[in-house]
Order: sequence, then C-alpha cells, then structure tokens
Amino acid sequence: MERELTVVGNRMPMLDAAAKAKGTAQFIDDLVLPGMLHGKILRSPLPHAKILHIDTSKAEKLSGVKGVMTGTDIPDRKYGIVPKAKDEYALAKTKVRYIGDEVAAVCAVDPEIAEEALELIKVDYEELPAVFDPMEAIKEGAPLVHADVQKNISASIRKEFGDVEKAFGESDFIFEDTFYSQAVNHAPLEPHGALAQYDPKGELTIWSSTQIPFFLRRNLSTTLLVPESKLRVIKPKVGGGFGQKVDMFAKDFCACWFAMNIGRPVKFIYDREEVFIGTRQRHPVYLSVKTGLNKEGNILAQQFKAYADGGAYNSTAPVMITLMGFFLMIPYKVPNLLHEGYHVYTNKPVGGAMRGHGIPQARFAVERQLDMIAERMDLDPGEIRIRNSIHAGEPHPAKFVINTCGFVDTVKKAAEGIGWAQKRGKLPFGRGVGMAGGSFPSGVSNMSHISSGAVVQLGREGAVNVLTGAADIGQGAETVIGQIVAEELGVLLEDVRVTAADTGITPLDPGTFGSGVTVRAGNAARLAAISVKNKLFEIVSEKLEASVDDLVAEKRKIYVKGSPDKGMTLSDALKAYQYGDHPMPIVGRGSWMAPTTEPTTLLKENGNFAPNYSFMTQAAEVEVDPQTGRVKLLKMAAAHDCGKMINPLLVEGQLEGSVVGGMGQALYEDVIVEKGQVMNPSFLDYGFPTAMEMPEIEAIEVETIDPLGPFGAKEAGEGTQVSPAPAIVNAIYDAIGIDFMEMPVTPEKILKALEEKKK
Amino acid sequence: MRLPKFEYVEPKSIEEACSILSDESSAKILAGGTDLLANMKHRVEVPSVLANIKRISGLDFIRQDNGAIRIGALTPLKRLYKTTLVTEKVPALSSAAASVGSYHHQTMGTLGGNLCQQNRCKYFNQSQWWRSAREPCFKAGGGICHVVNKKEICYSSYCGDMAPILLVMNAKVVLANKGDSREISLQSLFSGDGKTPLDTKKGEILTEIVIPEEALNSFSTYSKFANRESIDFPIVGAAIWSSVQRKEHRVSFTAVDRKPIRARNIESVLKGRDLSEEIVEEVAGLASKEAALVKSSNYAPSYKRRLMEGLLRSTLKEAMRRS
Amino acid sequence: MKQEIALNINGDTYELLVSPNQTLLEVLRDNLGLMGTKRGCDLGACGACTVLLKGEAYLSCLMLAMDAVDKEIVTIEGLGGRGNLDPLQSAFVEQGALQCGFCTPGMILTAKAMLSEEDHPTEDIIKKRMAGNLCRCTGYKKVIEALQSVSEQTAEEE
Ligand SMILES: Cc1cc2nc3c(=O)[nH]c(=O)nc-3n(C[C@H](O)[C@H](O)[C@H](O)COP(=O)(O)OP(=O)(O)OC[C@H]3O[C@@H](n4cnc5c(N)ncnc54)[C@H](O)[C@@H]3O)c2cc1C
Ligand code: SF4
Ligand code: FES
Ligand code: FES
Repeated sequence: MERELTVVGNRMPMLDAAAKAKGTAQFIDDLVLPGMLHGKILRSPLPHAKILHIDTSKAEKLSGVKGVMTGTDIPDRKYGIVPKAKDEYALAKTKVRYIGDEVAAVCAVDPEIAEEALELIKVDYEELPAVFDPMEAIKEGAPLVHADVQKNISASIRKEFGDVEKAFGESDFIFEDTFYSQAVNHAPLEPHGALAQYDPKGELTIWSSTQIPFFLRRNLSTTLLVPESKLRVIKPKVGGGFGQKVDMFAKDFCACWFAMNIGRPVKFIYDREEVFIGTRQRHPVYLSVKTGLNKEGNILAQQFKAYADGGAYNSTAPVMITLMGFFLMIPYKVPNLLHEGYHVYTNKPVGGAMRGHGIPQARFAVERQLDMIAERMDLDPGEIRIRNSIHAGEPHPAKFVINTCGFVDTVKKAAEGIGWAQKRGKLPFGRGVGMAGGSFPSGVSNMSHISSGAVVQLGREGAVNVLTGAADIGQGAETVIGQIVAEELGVLLEDVRVTAADTGITPLDPGTFGSGVTVRAGNAARLAAISVKNKLFEIVSEKLEASVDDLVAEKRKIYVKGSPDKGMTLSDALKAYQYGDHPMPIVGRGSWMAPTTEPTTLLKENGNFAPNYSFMTQAAEVEVDPQTGRVKLLKMAAAHDCGKMINPLLVEGQLEGSVVGGMGQALYEDVIVEKGQVMNPSFLDYGFPTAMEMPEIEAIEVETIDPLGPFGAKEAGEGTQVSPAPAIVNAIYDAIGIDFMEMPVTPEKILKALEEKKK
Repeated sequence: MRLPKFEYVEPKSIEEACSILSDESSAKILAGGTDLLANMKHRVEVPSVLANIKRISGLDFIRQDNGAIRIGALTPLKRLYKTTLVTEKVPALSSAAASVGSYHHQTMGTLGGNLCQQNRCKYFNQSQWWRSAREPCFKAGGGICHVVNKKEICYSSYCGDMAPILLVMNAKVVLANKGDSREISLQSLFSGDGKTPLDTKKGEILTEIVIPEEALNSFSTYSKFANRESIDFPIVGAAIWSSVQRKEHRVSFTAVDRKPIRARNIESVLKGRDLSEEIVEEVAGLASKEAALVKSSNYAPSYKRRLMEGLLRSTLKEAMRRS
Repeated sequence: MKQEIALNINGDTYELLVSPNQTLLEVLRDNLGLMGTKRGCDLGACGACTVLLKGEAYLSCLMLAMDAVDKEIVTIEGLGGRGNLDPLQSAFVEQGALQCGFCTPGMILTAKAMLSEEDHPTEDIIKKRMAGNLCRCTGYKKVIEALQSVSEQTAEEE
C-alpha cells in the first residue's frame, strides 16, 4: 500500500449490526412466503433397528396435512459433505442407526397440525443390537452400524513424517499418556431451518441456515436429481454455526422435496432438542500420545493415536481425523511424527465439524502432556513451549510453508498477561495458572477445488456493490470483505453494499469452514476491487496527467502520491469515466485460491496445508473450591497472532467468544448419553456458560504481516478455541496438583479426585 | 414445541378457582407458568383446564401481621428481594429468591408456584418423543420406574429453591378451599410421594405463606449449589436457621429427596449445643444420611452426598461467624 | 376454541383470534409477524424470546398470549425511532456486543428492564440480571461493557 490504511485495521461495527439490534435482521425462521406450509420430522426412538413398515395413512388423513414422506419416496441417493464419505439418506430407507435418525417427514398448514401428524405415523421396527462405545465397536463381532463397514471403522489414516522409531531410539525421555475429549454441542442460539420454494419453470430456491451454500446446492442436486442450474441456495442471516451448519440435514432435503411435489413453499425449523440430538456435535475422542525428547526438552518424536466416536454417520470423518494429525505439526517442531486416526461408527449422535475441527481434541492431549512432561523434566511449561516452537522461514518436516509466526511472542505475552512469573507454582492451594499453545490454518490449500470468487461493481455516486459467496454466520465476514474492498477502492465502509451467499447471484465460494474466509474470500474481493480501481485509474491518470502507478485512492478521493491537492473526488472521477464514454458500472472480478506447488490431496501427500497459519497462547488463572469442587476461571490472557487484524473489534469478539466456549468444554459441557439416548438435550440440562461464568479476558495482539493474507491477515475464527480448554485444565493442575486426563473437569470429578488424593 | 390443547379460564375469586379445581379432575392452576408450561410442552402434564389465578386480586402482597410475615402466593419472587420488609427481616428469603432460575424466572415465577412446582427427574423432564424411546414411567402414566427398579413408586426429586429456607423457619401455608381455609405447616404440604408431591385436598389452592415471628430474629441462610450460577435448578440446596439463645439449629435440604427435607437427626444432635468447629465436623458427616439419594438426575448420588456435606459445613460455619 | 383478545403491543392495539394454547411468542411471530422476538429454546432457558410486560422482562415462550391481555407489551420493534436506535441498541452496535445477533433483541430488552429497575448496577448485578440471556458468540464481555457504558451515561445525565 502506498498510504496509511484508513478502513482496514479499524474497530468498526458490523455492517448489519444495527439491523440485528433492531430485530429486523432476517433469520431463517423469520422468512414467510405466501401459502407456506410447515414441516416436521419424525425421528427414531431406537438406537439401531430395521424399519419393517411405516404406516402413514392416519397422518395423511388428518385435516390440514398436505404431505407425508418417507425414505422410500426419495431417490436412492446418499448425501455427505465429504464426497467420498457419503453415507446418509435424507430419510432412513431400511434401517435407523441412532436415536434421532430421521424416519419420515410431514408438512401441514400449521406447525401444530404437523406435530400432531407425527404422532399418527406408525413405524414397525425390528430392534437390532447396538453399540455405543468406539472401543467396543472396533472389536470383532460388534454390531455393525453400516453393514458394509467392517469393525465400524469408516475412515482411518496412518501418516508418518520422518522416522519415528529411530527418533524414539534416540530420545532421552519417552512419555506416554492417554486422554479423552468429550462430546460437546455447538449449541448456536438459532436452531436450524430451511425454507424451499418451487416454481413451475422447475426452479427450486432454498433458504437455509447453512455455512456452505454451494456444497448444499451440490448435494441437493445429486440427491434430489435436480440440475445445479435449477437450484438456488440462499443463506439468510445465520444465528451462529460454529461448524454445526457445515453440513446438510433432513430439513434441507425434505423442504425441497415437499416444495417440488406439492408446489407450495415449505419451511422446517428444528426444535432445540433436535439441534442437540439430530444435527452434529464435536467428536468425542480417545487419544494417546507418546512423546520422545532429548535432555534439553526438545521434542524428537511423537506418536499419536486417536479413536474418534463418530456416531452413526460420517459427516466430515476423513477430514477430521486428517486435520487432527497434520496439525500436530504446528506450533511445535515435531521432526518425526506418526499419526494414526480412526473414525468409528457407533449408534449415537453424529460428530461433525466444530470450531477447530479435530484439532482442539488433539491439542488438549498434547498441551496437557507437555505440561506433564515439563513437570517430570523440571522445566517451566512456558519454556518448553518456546524451546519447541517452529519459526517462520525454517524448513518444516511436513513441508508447511510458514511465512510468519508469532508463537514465541504469544507465549511470552500470555505469560505476562496472567502474571506467570509471580504465580506459577507459587499460589496458595486452590489457585493456579496454566497455559496452552495452538496454531491454526487459514483455510486449506491442498484441496485444489477450494477457491473463492468475488465481483465488485462501482456505480454512480461511488456506490460500491460487492458480490461474494462467503457465508457470514455472525462472525462478520461481510463486514471484513466490505472493509477490504473499501480500503482498496479508497471509499468509506458505508459506501459498500455486500451481497453474499446466494448461489443464484454470487460467485462460487466453498463456505465458512476451516477459517479460510478472510484470507480466501478476502483476497478474491481485494483482487476484484483492484481490477475496478485499475480501470478507473486509467481514466484519472489521463485527466491528471499522472502515471497510473502514482495514483492513490483514499477517502473518496483519487490523487497523486505525495501531493494530495493534485487529484479529484471519486465522484468527479466517475463522471469523467462515464462522460468519456466508458460503460458503467465499472465491474471487477477476482478469484483466489491458495498457491499450491502441485495439486495435492488431503490424505496422501505432504505439502503446504494452508496459505498461512495463526498462532496463539492462552494463559488461565483458576480458583478451585475444595468444598464444592467448583472451578472458577478467574482470568484468561489470550495472545493471538492472526496477522494483520482487518477489524480488531471483531477479532476480539472471536477471542472472547472462544474463551467462554473453551471454558464450556473444559468445565461445563458434555453431551451425556445413556444407551444411545442424549440425557441433556436442552439448554437447561446441557448448561453452557452464562454471563455469570464469564472470566476476565485480556486480549493481547501479536500482529504479524503475512505476505499472502489480504493486507497481511490470517485467520481469527477457530484457532482461538483450540487452546483455552487445555490452558484451564493445566491451571487446575497448578491449583490442586491433580492431572485431569479427560474433560469436562466437573466439580463432581474434582471432589472425587481430591478425596482420592487425601487417601 | 406447542402446548397441548386445554380450556382456559380466568376465575375472578378464590372460591371460583377452587370450584373449578374440584369440578374438573385434571384442572390446574396457572400462576407464573414457568414450571407448568414447560412441563405441558413436554406433555408430562396435560391439564384439561387451566385456571389462571393471576386475575384474582389480593393474592399478591407482603405484610407483617402480629409479628408474623405473611406473603401472598402470587407474589413474584423478584418482589422478595425488592421489598425492604423482606430484605431487612428475612434476608435469607431474599437471597433464596434471587437464586431461583434467572432474572426472568424471578420476575414471572411466584412464591406459591415455586413451592408447588413439580418434582424433577431426568427421565421425566423430557419431550414426548424423547420419552417414547423408553417404556412410559410410573409418573408419566406407566408402570415402571427407570431410576429405581421398583414398581409403582416414583423417586423423582423435589428441586425447589424456596422451600428449604421456609422450612427451617417453620413457615406455614394457608390453603383455601371453596370459602374455607386451613393453615398447615409447610412441611406437611409435601407428601414425599414422587408421583403426587403435594399433599393437598381436591380443590385446594395455596393462598398465603406465613413466617412466624419467632423465626425472624435469628440467623438463617440458604446456600445453593448448581451447575451454573444462574438458570439452573440446585444440584443440592441447604438452608439453616440458628438461634444462639435457644441453642437450636435447624437444617434442611432440597434436590436430595422426593420432598424438601428437614434434617431431623442432625438437628437433634445440634440441639442444646453451641456451634463449634468440632460439632460442625461431626454433623457434616451425617448430612447424607438424611436423604434417600437416587440417580434421578445427571449428578451421581455420591456427588450429591459430598455436596450436602460441603454445604452444611459452610452454612454452619457461616452461622458460627455471624453469632 | 379460538377466543377474541386485544393485545397492546408497542403502543398499538391488536385485535386477535387466538387459541388458549398459543404462547405470546407464537402470537407475536406467527400471527403478527413481529419477528424480532426470537425462539431459541421454547422452554424458558435462553432468554431469546424476552419481551417487556409493563416494563419487566418476561419470557414470551413460557407465557400464554391470553395472559398478556391488558398488559403493555414492548418488543424489540418498539425500541428506538424509525431510523434511529435506542441508546442501548447503539451501545450494542458500536461496542461490538453482538455477533450473529440472534440473542440480541432478548439481551437488549432484558437490559432495558434491568436498567429501569436498578439505579447504579454494579458489574455483578448486571451479570446476574443478564445471565438468563444466553449467547454463544460473544462470550458476554462486550455485552456487559456496553451495558456498563449505558448505565454510566444515564447516571451522568441524571
Ligand atoms: C429454565 C428454568 C430454570 C428454572 N430454575 C429454577 C430454579 O433454579 N429453582 C427453582 O426453584 N425453580 C426453577 N424453575 C422453575 C420455576 O421457574 C420456578 O419454580 C417458579 O418459581 C415457579 O413459579 P410459577 O409461578 O411460575 O409456577 P407455575 O408454573 O405457575 O406453577 C407451578 C405448579 O404449581 C401449581 N401452583 C401454582 N400456584 C399455585 C397455588 N397458589 N396453589 C396451588 N398450586 C399452585 C401449578 O398448578 C403448577 O403445578 C426454573 C424453570 C425454568 C423453565
Ligand atoms: S423417578 Fe421413576 S417414576 Fe419417577 S419420574 Fe423418574 S423414572 Fe419416572
Ligand atoms: S425461547 Fe424463550 S427462553 Fe428460550
Ligand atoms: S450474538 Fe450470537 S448468540 Fe449472541
């Protein structure tokens, strides 16, 4: 940039913040179409059973019911977010695999009648033996959740970097520990929904609370046999997703199917209970880590084994177990790594992408073990992290290209923020501090089809229209993209209108996952803006008799670098453009994908995984009440290197939300399952943190300027949630001297452990 | 989640409300509705008639009469910490009210409704579909219990936050029935039967809660332990009332049994003694013996036992400090 | 049987035909199209459906529409003028106290009730009163800060 940034880097409210505060922002359940019907889904009450017969006749006869559908009505096509792992029907065909599996759907003139109709559907089941634990499910003779998947292992990976056996041989110390990371639900405040409309020309439009409009379009097309050209997916405002909406659900398919077959718009909105049971959750994982180090505390080798309890279907299975392994390679230098990951089917709710997507589970194990190792080797936990940090520019054992890395700084600053030197090991019993590090990719680069497009139009009076496929789910993607475009064009944010995530209008974008939006969609939008700017600059350079290279656009003005008086306003420039007989509006297009040396695939080859990587350290201070076992998170100091912050207000928001989310996982949240049945499928019983539990949060910036990110940006969405949980559990160790190997660390477990310790 | 269908009435007087209750066997009183309507959405309560008593005047008051504090059944919980008479004379009642649910429940929920709330159980407070995964349990109209393998007994827990503090103050309640009324001890309002937790006669409505004067001049406190510091029902709640002059100390618990309990055994050990560290330790160990703990919630009985002990210890110590 | 009722919402009177089993939330959203009131759980555990009844914070999902007769109801649509925002709404916007915005209308109305009842709420009181409004995005920090700033502002104006 030839000048100071004026829009990027500023704390700015989201473009749609006022609409949200006024209650006029439209979420899926706020959309109503004339003649709209209401759909509901009948779910299996059994964990594993054959469907013998479904009698829908009574439901069909109920007055007000307009349609009833079962698995036999729809084409024999499976859906799935990962093409190779498709294993799910919109409605079960012959078998149900978990309590909550979709069996039938109805639609009626009002939701009350639809609910009544569900009760009139009679399903005859033949119950089958079920399996609820992945370690049981992989045993010979265990019931098979999917008949064609032996030992219930639906995806596995064995990946070695370097020579692990040799490195263990050279290690001075070897430690091996096992951990368990529990199931947690994303619990976005907005329940999932979909609204579909069919027009007689054969065009199908669906509004869906989704993070992935284009993936949804593709899956709707292949399962319902409607060409993608006839399908339009529109994302309204989405009330939080955290990865749970990186998938498609029965509501999407059934809304479309009914709309096509009945000819009236149909809306499905899930109940909170359905969100808990029938969507997705963070995979519970059994983890074991073996780490070899030399005397100085440098990691020489790591062997990692993970059994993920996938529940009844794959969802993102192969991706999840892969991410888990690859990201053991950052933020620490692990010269030799062997990762074995298994995704195991059970008759339980389905695992999927959740903020961090496999990486938080792995990080929990590794960050906990690092602390245990530091203790055994008499090293400071901060020191062992710094000693093992990777560094920018160094060759990387997995061939990642790390252009910027502020990890060491994050360790130091988080430590400073929490008062590490004064506190660690020095606080009275019941109080302690702990830290954990982390790193995260800004999207993925070695899946070659992941790219984003953008269109920028500059019209009369300097009105800027941006079309982007990026899916804003509340994190502020549209605002960030708007800022990038405004900065590049030299206009104000208020001049920019962003139209997003409508497959009928906006360019292709993979969606919101893997924290790639700012970098990928942001770069695409920036390129589109640059293309517009170049067109305009050509005319202006003639008028000002200056070289294009010397022009600067800033605050609705275009002028010659170094002499702000020699210039013109943007609107004059546009007039000149228009009256010079150039067609309006000025349109620029951009698309962007992360540079790859060669097209690689996730599972097979090494290579640079992401355009860039964020780094962070969180340091926690906790207080444990030995009478009740309550752990209170007093403070979290969170230091984060997310490159250039496009909008610090939004980055802080991500950090703060992640701290409380991570605290939820560490201390409060657990999807409790009894014989396949979720025992706490409600906000009341699930109990994620309220304002009362909120700790003091200190957000510390460690800014690096990344060469590949737009204006130097990196991700700030998911990485923030990989380290809070282990930091808290590490702090509990400092407070009471007990190593917890599983989450959540509830008061119940604390009391029990304290009692056992006394003995 | 829709409510089931019912007939809605707004009686204008207590008598009218009582006769609706006695005429219609499955009629129910609607006060704040925060307990009842959630249960109705789950279809574990399906009254044919809902009698909204909030249009009856004179059930929402707090006053002192001949020394005793009298509180109308429809008094919103929030009023209990916003009224000086209560915050000054019975601060423990104020803080108990402030511990119920969230601000919203304290605004909407009434004291009468809180005392009369349904018992809770992890197999009961669930949707109709959820419950269809198992045989219907005894409380929900079936024959078996998923918590304790015994027929026709329900072990659901009483989890209200207001009962314990009122119990240790020996509060009374007034029950009206068609022009008639009787005053009974709060303790005898609770049947101890999980299926029908209230021991009221057909047609009776709770109109008043009476805190005797003798309870007002001694220390009392309610301590609640829940998963989160707001919204959640207690995992265990404990109240104590302690009179130094009379050397009398009363203890009660909620969320540990089929009704809110007075810890009679502990009370008799404490009777006639001054509180001391040793005595506190002695009785803390007795706490869990007072209750029949079962797995009716997602929290293990062994954990509730530890909590009963911990809460008793800390409340008694607080009493020691205060006196 | 449906019954005829009149509700006073945001200063307007609406004559309606409702079933006794309709909650106020259902009537606001389904009958009247006042979509600013959100349904997060429908079981009284998240606060997204908060409305003001005579200035107090009520959960409209746990309340019968019939029960709201004769009580002044204010929904999020009733705050601020046509183009402008109520000071609470502005504070949420400017201080980043919202992300997805789904919890926001409920948060703002609870805050409204709280600020009308508490003179100079401490941070602890603010947290206690707001704790019934769940938010999965913000971690609450900016919400609490926004409320503190509004409360200080009103204190100054007094
Ligand atoms: C999310 C959530 C969290 C909650 N947390 C708590 C908590 O922490 N602690 C707690 O104690 N409660 C809690 N509750 C339950 C409830 O909000 C409170 O108990 C409240 O005080 C109930 O009062 P109400 O007036 O709303 O009762 P209602 O729901 O109106 O009535 C409850 C029952 O009492 C009967 N009843 C009401 N008034 C009378 C009367 N005068 N005479 C005879 N019978 C009557 C009704 O018929 C009904 O069966 C919670 C509820 C929810 C939804
Ligand atoms: S204790 Fe038994 S009978 Fe009672 S509600 Fe629970 S499962 Fe039903
Ligand atoms: S929707 Fe009413 S409290 Fe959640
Ligand atoms: S802003 Fe998303 S739930 Fe609060």
